[in-house]
Amino acid sequence: MNSRYAGVPESQRALGAIDVNSEQLTLQDPRAVLSLLEADQVVAAKRRTHFGRRNLSLRTRVLLWCLRVYVVAMFVIVLISVVQAIRSAH
Amino acid sequence: MDGLHKNPNVMNSQTAHPTTESAVESAAAPELIGLLTHEDVDRARDRWEVAQARRRGRSKSFGGLRLLWLLVGPGVLVFLGENDAPSMLSYSADGSRYGIGFFLPFVVLTFLMGFIVQEMTVRLGAVTHRGHAELIFDRFGKFWGFFAMGDLILGNFLTLVTEFIGVRAGLGFFGIRPAIAVGGALVIVAGAITTGRYWTWERITLSLAIFNGLFIPAAILARPDWHAVGHAMLTWMPLPTGSRYQILLLILATIGATVTPWMLFFQQSAVVDKGMQPRDINAGRFDTFLGALLASVFAIAAILATVPLFHHGINAADFQAAQFAEALEPLIGHAGAALFALGIFEAGIVAAIAISTSSAYAFGEVFQTGHSLNRPFREAWPFYLTLLGSASAAAALVLIPKFPLEFVVLTVNVIAVLAMPPALAFLLLLVNDREVMGQHVNGFWTNLAGITVTVLLICAGLGFGIATVFPKWLGG
Repeated sequence: MNSRYAGVPESQRALGAIDVNSEQLTLQDPRAVLSLLEADQVVAAKRRTHFGRRNLSLRTRVLLWCLRVYVVAMFVIVLISVVQAIRSAH
Repeated sequence: MDGLHKNPNVMNSQTAHPTTESAVESAAAPELIGLLTHEDVDRARDRWEVAQARRRGRSKSFGGLRLLWLLVGPGVLVFLGENDAPSMLSYSADGSRYGIGFFLPFVVLTFLMGFIVQEMTVRLGAVTHRGHAELIFDRFGKFWGFFAMGDLILGNFLTLVTEFIGVRAGLGFFGIRPAIAVGGALVIVAGAITTGRYWTWERITLSLAIFNGLFIPAAILARPDWHAVGHAMLTWMPLPTGSRYQILLLILATIGATVTPWMLFFQQSAVVDKGMQPRDINAGRFDTFLGALLASVFAIAAILATVPLFHHGINAADFQAAQFAEALEPLIGHAGAALFALGIFEAGIVAAIAISTSSAYAFGEVFQTGHSLNRPFREAWPFYLTLLGSASAAAALVLIPKFPLEFVVLTVNVIAVLAMPPALAFLLLLVNDREVMGQHVNGFWTNLAGITVTVLLICAGLGFGIATVFPKWLGG
């Protein structure tokens, strides 16, 4: 990642929240950027945290499978109707 | 797919939890400073504007308007984007075949359904800061993720084709050659994404989208019977008559003109890219309501603009966009017909921008590449190439001689309705997931409304299926 703050030395990374309502706020200050964003809104933070897989109950899996079958069947029916429309057009 | 976990820039993967903690107060803050990107800084700039507006809003009587101006965007864009070329064509078919009656209040009902489901994406995006595709892959795994993506990509591509058909047909009314019309539209799509800034992109696209209102003067020039309009809105009468199969098809197309899978993916990703936070949810609701309201007014205007065709007994069964404008010219005048054609062009171009962006967001979220309009091209080239590639392929298809464009137009809204129930199932599962949403999970009434919309869509789809396979049952 190309960070414009990559060169900020470790010793200068002492953090503290700053007043985001201040008229004097400058985004040259990385603390200002971090103060304005939520913890999981920063791109790097989002990349390291994930909502893990949820355990799907049997009922949920059955529901999803039924909907999958529904969509496939309906797409076949759309194809039938398109073929019928093409035939009647000719 | 697992690029995220192999990325050397990525710190050890952890489980995410809904939080409103400021990044500067998080334990990872010192580490994050060196990893801040262009995208983060642009988003922080937007948040700063919102913080300033919120502060001033407390001290000035109309200060809240500035806040709304800053936070309005994804909702208006998604609904005006969905008032796209095939949708306006569906509304025009409603008006020209059945006149003033059932379809006017029905359109309002479909936008209410649209508002119910789109509001959920606002909450999902603002709370999780993640796009819809990313959340589906995270929570349901690759198998179900690719299932959802397959429907989205197919629907998006077919819809994109119809947008360029709308562009070609709309400008065709003015004698502009198809290659120039489609090529020009592609340049506008590309131009909108060269800003490198979500905010600028959003404002450019919004300023284009507001021309969806061209259907209003076109409707006024058609001199509608306002008494009949009021009667229809209150009583849903007269009901459409004739072939039940055709009516069902038009009902399905009208629903598909308002609730489609790309809208779920687009609005959630746009909310994330805009940097909205849980405290902005009410503004996001207003944005979504405003979008639904504007889009329903413009949709009703499109119906009213084509009602003269119904009164003159002109068969619009096989009309394409330009033919509607040409047929309207002797009835509502050249200005009205030109406004109608321009409206179809506008509907196509705005939707082409929104839908190609929706595909690019989903691609970036699934393959874990940069996926923000706040990123410059060099940092997110797969995102921008997906956007341009999908738009270019759709545009090229429209220029192929003898390509059966009319069948694509006819089926695209129907496919959107048929693909919607699984998309809604994923949405409802996510928005009821307390590990993802925390306190912002759906309540009883939002669940009831969401489930009702899903069941209605399934019934409409099943009705279409039965009518197609057993046409005699419906007298088709």
